[in-house]
Amino acid sequence: MKNRCVINTRRGGTSALTIAARSMLLGAPLALFCTASVAETHGYVISWFATATYNQNWKEACPEDRNGGGLQLNIRNFMDIGFSREEATDMANNPALPNREELRERVINRAIVNGKHVNVYNYPDAVPDPNIETVTGPYAYGFDLGGDSAHKFIDPETKQKVDNQLWRAVGCTESYRAAPPQMPYPEELSWNTMTDSALAWAIQISGEDLGRDGKVTVTISRVLQHLERDASGGIVSGATYVLEPVTRSHNVLQGEIKDGVLTVTPADIYLEGEMPYFAEIAIKDAHMRFKRRDDGKLIAYWGGYIDWKRFAYMYTARPANGADTMGIYHAVKKMADADPDPATGQNRMISATYRMEAVPAYIAELNGNVVAVSSRGPAWGAQSARVAAADDRSPDAANP
Amino acid sequence: MKFSQSALALAALGVVVLSSPVPSATDAVAAESGAATAPADPAVLLRLSPSQYRHSIHDIFGASIKITGRFEPETRSEGMLSVGARLASITDSGLQRYDELARGIAAQVVDERHRDLLIPCKPQSATGADAACARQFFARVGRMLYRRPLAAHELDGIVAAAGDATSVLKNFYGGLQLALTEMLISPEFLFRRFQMEPDPERPGQERLNAYGKAAELSFFLWNTTPDEALLRAAESGEIHTRAGLEKQVDRLMSSPAMEDGLRGFFADMLEFADFETVSKDPAFFPSYTLSAKLDSQEQTLRTIVDHVMVREGDYRDLFTTRHTFLTRSLAALYGVPLVDKTENGQPQRWLPYTYPEGDPHAGILTHASFLALHSPSGRSSPTDRGKALRELLMCQRVPPPPSNVDFSVVQDVNSEVHRTARDRLTAHATEATCAGCHRITDPIGLALENFDAAGGYRTHENGAPINPAGEINRVKFDDPIGLGQAIRNVPAITNCVARKAFAFGSGRMPVAANPEWKQISQAFADSNYNVLALLREIALSDLFYAPPAATTVASTSAR
Amino acid sequence: MKSSVAMLARRRVLRGIVAGAAVNVGLPLFDCLLNDNGTAFAATGAPIPTRFATWFWGLGLGEADWRPKVAGRGFELPVQLQALKPFQDKLNLFSGGEVFLDGQANQTHFSGVQGFWTGKVTGAGDFFSSVDSAISGVIGKTTRFRSLEVACDGDPKASWSARADGKQPAEVSPAALYRTIFGPEYRDPNAAEFVPDPTVIARRSVLSGVKDQRLALAKGLGAADRAKLDNYFTSLRALEQRLEIQLQKPEPLLACTRPDAPPEEQNQAVSLATDAMKRHDLLVELLTHAMACDQTRVVNLSITQGMSGLRKEGDPINHHTLTHEEPIDPVLGYQVKCAWFQDQYMQGLATFAGMLDKVKEGDKSLLDRMILFAYTDHGAPRLHSLRNYPFITIGSGDGRLKTGMHIPRPGDVATRVPLTMQQAMGVPVSEFGTESNRVTSPIEEVLA
Repeated sequence: MKNRCVINTRRGGTSALTIAARSMLLGAPLALFCTASVAETHGYVISWFATATYNQNWKEACPEDRNGGGLQLNIRNFMDIGFSREEATDMANNPALPNREELRERVINRAIVNGKHVNVYNYPDAVPDPNIETVTGPYAYGFDLGGDSAHKFIDPETKQKVDNQLWRAVGCTESYRAAPPQMPYPEELSWNTMTDSALAWAIQISGEDLGRDGKVTVTISRVLQHLERDASGGIVSGATYVLEPVTRSHNVLQGEIKDGVLTVTPADIYLEGEMPYFAEIAIKDAHMRFKRRDDGKLIAYWGGYIDWKRFAYMYTARPANGADTMGIYHAVKKMADADPDPATGQNRMISATYRMEAVPAYIAELNGNVVAVSSRGPAWGAQSARVAAADDRSPDAANP
Repeated sequence: MKFSQSALALAALGVVVLSSPVPSATDAVAAESGAATAPADPAVLLRLSPSQYRHSIHDIFGASIKITGRFEPETRSEGMLSVGARLASITDSGLQRYDELARGIAAQVVDERHRDLLIPCKPQSATGADAACARQFFARVGRMLYRRPLAAHELDGIVAAAGDATSVLKNFYGGLQLALTEMLISPEFLFRRFQMEPDPERPGQERLNAYGKAAELSFFLWNTTPDEALLRAAESGEIHTRAGLEKQVDRLMSSPAMEDGLRGFFADMLEFADFETVSKDPAFFPSYTLSAKLDSQEQTLRTIVDHVMVREGDYRDLFTTRHTFLTRSLAALYGVPLVDKTENGQPQRWLPYTYPEGDPHAGILTHASFLALHSPSGRSSPTDRGKALRELLMCQRVPPPPSNVDFSVVQDVNSEVHRTARDRLTAHATEATCAGCHRITDPIGLALENFDAAGGYRTHENGAPINPAGEINRVKFDDPIGLGQAIRNVPAITNCVARKAFAFGSGRMPVAANPEWKQISQAFADSNYNVLALLREIALSDLFYAPPAATTVASTSAR
Repeated sequence: MKSSVAMLARRRVLRGIVAGAAVNVGLPLFDCLLNDNGTAFAATGAPIPTRFATWFWGLGLGEADWRPKVAGRGFELPVQLQALKPFQDKLNLFSGGEVFLDGQANQTHFSGVQGFWTGKVTGAGDFFSSVDSAISGVIGKTTRFRSLEVACDGDPKASWSARADGKQPAEVSPAALYRTIFGPEYRDPNAAEFVPDPTVIARRSVLSGVKDQRLALAKGLGAADRAKLDNYFTSLRALEQRLEIQLQKPEPLLACTRPDAPPEEQNQAVSLATDAMKRHDLLVELLTHAMACDQTRVVNLSITQGMSGLRKEGDPINHHTLTHEEPIDPVLGYQVKCAWFQDQYMQGLATFAGMLDKVKEGDKSLLDRMILFAYTDHGAPRLHSLRNYPFITIGSGDGRLKTGMHIPRPGDVATRVPLTMQQAMGVPVSEFGTESNRVTSPIEEVLA
């Protein structure tokens, strides 16, 4: 099923693209004439990627509501360096605090290792667990990874019981109180910094006939160009990207389109990224589900186990985002639910779910062969359930 | 000092010195008419275009001079800015802008980075006047800026002015800078002058003077000021001889700088200046980014230069050719793959691209530069596109709409019935008062409706399929490819480009009945519509250098 | 102008100044810099100058009948002009005026303005010597800028201000306008010290050299080209005058404050009405400051050309197309989408009037001391009608106009209103317009 169909676009192009172009233009199901079998491949680049959030009902998810925002964080930090709650509250509310710099240094260096004050971001374990509130409500996006049934959530879209301990850890923090198209704030900052220079991630979906239910192959890789922006600040559809010829980011998964949803046989995936954003996307036992809109855009959820320290590193390595880094670090560490360290027993991996969007794109190889076409045709499964173009969020998207 | 200089100048011209130092022009002519015979054909002034200005400055002072500032808007007449240049004077705000440009340029010419390169001498003292050095500089620069050697009194005047300024500023280069600024806002620089002189070969008749010929040739073929070799050919009189003129024409045409001339011409003809007011709604046309907008103009010019200059192809094939050049931004706008291996973060490269056989993108009418320029910001207009084709490419005038047209016949725009442009324009086709004009525009534009207002491809509008069938001059076609082929065979297409090319260089349209013009048109046809051959014919013709009175003067009503 | 001897003496005076020293230059002013209105300002108690602003919006007030029933004071402001309610006492609304074509073609969105703003309807695109230039020719002679023209949609050609040599292009960039007015050449009237810039002094002496070449330049030219050259030299004189003014210590102006520089725009062209109005607000703020600081006494603004191509966000159809295609709502009696645009524009006019009203000059506001004149291309654009033109004035021109009135002039020639404006502003004309558009008397009831 891994027939790579080649469309030659060098001068004096072959007739393959003609037929493809014609049928594409007429909106009919594509039928590329290629080497051996008849198959088609649609290309995409990931245009939005973040930890999946669910914020429909804060009271239900975080009934104690005690984490608070930046102000409360500052109060806790001042208390950590010895001030009383009253003092800390006054100080945190004082915009003209005189010795602000010095206090900041004390807060940052409040961890003690071998008797010496050290930077908490380098030694987060040396900071006592702030014990932030974690999610006790019932909902989170995800997949059943076979985890502990006591800790399962219900996926608001599929209604399945799912594992997403990462959400449990971070879902009550201010940083994660966002809904698409907003990403959690620290991730959004990083995304916007990197998106105009970091190499993009591409997806190719191949199948006999992508307009109908059936088996498909999903290839997820990295390309040599950064994402191209469009005139409204989003990512342009229909641009061409060239696959990295020598890469660590090449994942081929088997999947199936059924009733308008594409799911895959779970597998480990790896994508190389760039700091300060995701240094890598490394998911063990990755489960995925994709939907496609009428304008060609993909919306998907990916879930599986990730290295919790890698996740926390996004925060400890770049602490200036107003996030409760220590709180998140310790919560994530506590909620980690897989792959125990034989020596310490601490779980090294945590169940997590990402949400992504991808826009149609041409994907090509360095030698000029176009291996996937940009298709803005209708959503999958013409007879099946379709997602209208206006509905670009999950059905229960919240307005925080 | 300047007053005495000007008095000397006036005396030199044989004019009575009047009591006021600055007589009005009419006074002077009245005084003059007694002294010399009034010319049979008056001289004409043509204002330099922004690109001619830029090219001239870069050719004279080097490409490292940054030209920051804006120009006075140009006037279009008979479809060409170069014809409108005849009508243009310089308004108050226009002069303010030229002044800003001039100050910026002059400051750079004398700055430490440039002075050693551009000023051929060093002053005795940096804080005092040095007339000899100033004279050396201005003689050289003045000749290039004014496109002729400076007269003695002119040079004296400028040197004196520089000296005056230096004595106030205590800075030699400062004085030079201010005097140079004045030259850069002088009419002698900002206007081209068609100056006639008696023709020794034909007594009683006049010819364009040598410097005028040099300038006309240079602006025509290279869209810039005459270079050293041209100026010398003018000085020696060689340019008045057939052999001398041919030598210069061939020299200019074999140079890569021809590309600038072609670009200048086609940008004028295709009205690219109007891009400054083009803006598309990003919600409807997200692919129409700023780089797509800028690239689209370059795409068309590159395609034309490649076809006309590199391949020396038939002009008519520009309407059917599948060859073009794209960047990644343009490819995304058009929805075609373009494999660009440029390193991440580097500027996008221009890559040759050939649309496959049968692809509806064929010819320059399917370029975004045509489609988007002649569309409003929210949706396409077949009428606008049809009108643009007629006026820009066929030199045909489409009458303006009648003022009392009653649109009550047009139904609600959101009705189910009117989903495509074809539906909306049904009234244009069926109402007698509308159809008269609209049938010469709409059927052309409707063939291009698969291209939305930004130039992107679509098969449906508001959910209804688009039917791209159309008609021009009773030839019917089913799609944009058919339109290109039909256009190709319309004689007006080649007539028009020839006329506009002539107008680009001379500032006036040729008279169709003129026998020499007929010869030039015939030669164009005989060359299989080779544009370079056309330009050569024009550049070597007498008509091109004829006094303005011999050809049609542009009408006074400018668009 | 002055004799050559005096000019020479002037140059010698200028050259004698030590560069950079703070001096009170005390130059004798040119004859032409003095006028009847005087030149001293608020600080000394002398008369404060009257200003004139024109404000053009495209596509009129729609198809419904907007004329108030009552003439004179106490009329009900039509719904189309509700945004101007706070200024009702200071405004006048003229209705009923008509432009006559005298057999010429009706060039849509043009002939009307050509008629009442230049006085002449020709069948062609001529546009010379507009009313505002007649006014600036009288009151704009002593300021740094004779007038300033701006447009809000990014199109420099959207200007109705024309001198003898044709249309003055409009400035479209607020950032560039700021630099022009308040950039390095600006002399702050309220600055403690005044230092004449030696570069300007030096430049002044150089500039005369170019003028002396004038005769040689004109030689051999035909009449049309001599006229071009004359226009050039008129522009050069204006440049010279700006240099002169830069060398004079300006009188302090209590009302003058320097605004903040607006940000650079991303795109020159805008297609959304809301974007054009944002730009409008930036531009009128600069124009208000420019007048308060006496950098100019005449400003001209166009939101767009007559055929407004502006759109509402989300709608692909622009205002102009809507005026023709949108059906008139049978209940409301007007085109609803078009009315939205009119509201946008009128709110802008109210914003401008409000800014002017906030500037206190002595006992009155800048708005009171000027006439803000608003006009449009068609009263009823759907059928390109040349009848029933609305004209609005806000401000009394320092008492020269009576205000608060509706002045219906059904069937009267529209040029009478611009004639009235010219007379109010002191232009010595007793008639205006040609052929059927010629008028020889103003609208007396509105003149004080």
